Amino acid sequence: MTATVHTAVPAGTSPPAPPRARRRRTVNLGERAIPYLLLTPAVVVMLVLLGWPAVQVIGISFRKLDLGELVRGELVWVGFDNYTKVLSEPEFWTITLRTVLFTSAVVAGTVLAGLLIALLMRHLSKPVRVALQVTLVLAWATPILAATTVYQWIFDQQYGILNKTLVKLGFDSFQGFSWFSSGTSTLTVIGILIVWQAVPFVCFTIYAGLLQAPKELYEAAAMDGATSWQAFTTVSWPAVRPLVTLATFLSVIWDFKVFAQVWAMRQGGPDGESTTLPLLMYLRGIAGRHFGVASAVAVLMILVLVVLTARYLQLLLRTREGDIS
Amino acid sequence: MKRLTKLMAGAAAIALATAGCAGSGGGSSDSSGGGGDKTLTVWLMNGSAPETLTDALNKEFEATHDGVTVKYEVQEWNGIQDKLTTALASQDPPDVIELGNTQAPSFAADGVLTDLSGDVDALGGGQWLSSLKDSGEWDGMQYATPFYAANRVVLYRTDMFQQAGIAAPPTSRQEWLDAITKLKAKFGSDPQFQPLYLPGQNWYALLSFIYDEGGDIAEKNGKDFKATVNSAEAKAGLEFYKQLVDASGTTAPKDNDEQNPEQAGIYGQGKVAMMIALPWELGTAAKDNPDIEKNSSAFAIPSKTAGKAAPVFQGGSNLAIPVNSKNSDLAKDYLKLLLSEKYQKQLAEAGMVPGASTDLSALDAKPVSKAMADASKGGGKAAPATPKWATVEAGQNPLKDMMTAYLTGAKDLDTATNDANTALDAAFKG
Repeated sequence: MTATVHTAVPAGTSPPAPPRARRRRTVNLGERAIPYLLLTPAVVVMLVLLGWPAVQVIGISFRKLDLGELVRGELVWVGFDNYTKVLSEPEFWTITLRTVLFTSAVVAGTVLAGLLIALLMRHLSKPVRVALQVTLVLAWATPILAATTVYQWIFDQQYGILNKTLVKLGFDSFQGFSWFSSGTSTLTVIGILIVWQAVPFVCFTIYAGLLQAPKELYEAAAMDGATSWQAFTTVSWPAVRPLVTLATFLSVIWDFKVFAQVWAMRQGGPDGESTTLPLLMYLRGIAGRHFGVASAVAVLMILVLVVLTARYLQLLLRTREGDIS
Repeated sequence: MKRLTKLMAGAAAIALATAGCAGSGGGSSDSSGGGGDKTLTVWLMNGSAPETLTDALNKEFEATHDGVTVKYEVQEWNGIQDKLTTALASQDPPDVIELGNTQAPSFAADGVLTDLSGDVDALGGGQWLSSLKDSGEWDGMQYATPFYAANRVVLYRTDMFQQAGIAAPPTSRQEWLDAITKLKAKFGSDPQFQPLYLPGQNWYALLSFIYDEGGDIAEKNGKDFKATVNSAEAKAGLEFYKQLVDASGTTAPKDNDEQNPEQAGIYGQGKVAMMIALPWELGTAAKDNPDIEKNSSAFAIPSKTAGKAAPVFQGGSNLAIPVNSKNSDLAKDYLKLLLSEKYQKQLAEAGMVPGASTDLSALDAKPVSKAMADASKGGGKAAPATPKWATVEAGQNPLKDMMTAYLTGAKDLDTATNDANTALDAAFKG
């Protein structure tokens, strides 16, 4: 603001040509500096809160940092030892593959369900739509661990309402059925929980996109005799495509690093079969207190995430004005 | 102006962030204070020493140490390992801490506790409970002292036993199973009744059965531990566990432990005749149902040899002084007082096996405490004294997976025990 005041100083009192030119240059410099100055606080905050921890994690991943080193404040550099250790465990590769598959399944489920509900919303009468929206917001607002507990109850072996209902419906084999007896089944339950929690955001995002599509286009399409599928592909889809892409990649990032639900449900069990990469990091770092090894897992997670979202990052860098599709 | 505010907000954020890094051990002592005024921060766990004891102890300590204030803080077991990790790493850690006996070896091995080897005699070392002494020892040095021990007993309903015509508490496995049959015959018409509440993952109880067979879950080989969960003895222990679960027909979850759901609450509902529990869980049950306390008693987990008690899994706590403590001499004085005859006796009166006193007479006053003292005479063993064990408990416990897999029939006995053995060995190497 002070800089703009400077430019407003009348030129009259100042000496002629040469100094004038100099002042003009300073004004330009100041003007050019303003955006950067204005950006500084945000950049500094980001560097301190995001950049510095990231640098720390990378640094720690090259150190031996157990509780002893942490308490004594020792710096023990071990080069790539932590990485060799993590990468040489066959378990790591199983867990990585499992995490990638789990993430893809959950993201696909979330986006598909979100898209379908958004499309449905457009066709609903107002009271029904509002009721649906309120329900979605409530699901969204439920605290993560509260929702996890409720799901544990639903799927409980003895007292769960799901088994009881299935038995009532005549599926007697579900009497005392354990949903948590294998990793796949446990991850399916966790996946359903995460989808349930993630759908509202995706749904509202896509619905907002649908509202952007002018009604006239649908009317025109209807007049041209388009089927509802054609109306979707020619009118709705172009309107929501960038938002679906956005929601997909955000979901990839969120679901890839989800920890609380997976840990709270069964601590990555049985036999570690529902352990995902964030859990591995917790097991190595907090439970095992090998913070160096855990940091190496964290860095590797970032690398996997970069590979998974490479396409999106590419689009993001290539396009301007956020026109991503 | 706006920029200035923004800058200031940024600066404040930075200050907060850095403060968050440095001062993560929130709630620790401000011990530096000039002159003779010092604060001794003591962290004991919820449910260990009763308040009457600690009040008297802190008062006596402050009276005998001029200018010293004791800052006594009760901690929760839940998440304590994380909290201790951050607290110990801070510049201002607490001066006296209580550690679970299964956690103590890992803290000792990491070198974050003050070496107390030279003070063992002054701290009453002659009377220490040997299993707790072992868990505080690492590499020939003593890093933690015993505090108290506790072991599991079978809490039971005296009124139900009477009605079912069971004259005396069982003293052998066969009598125990017979009692279950009798209880079932008497009360079985109530579908909610359970003769013995036993969830699938009470591995403390399983360990007791394995010890009783003469086995263990690991053997020490020099400095290393090797899992022995697939030994014949361990398998026999697991088979007996299943026998109990099947005989009782307990509706407790096979894929969870005694804390989820909390078994004391279920016992408190009055439809359970027995549960394998720590003595004070009766107090928890009585919160929901005050009448249950007078209708309950306890007996030691019966052995397969008639008339004997099975060896128990020795649970308990150690006391230690963090290596960064600025008042370690004061802290040692505090330990000395806490481990003295007077306070150890009070601990026994509160129903715990004192860690630094061989005098168990105070435990005989209450039937439940007496059962625990009797049970501990059958011999007690702790979890393998390796620093890696804490990782097993804080992370994924292969014993729990093994129990669930075998009890639900997902794996047969050999596969379940072999898998657990491999997983435990991997954890020991970790």
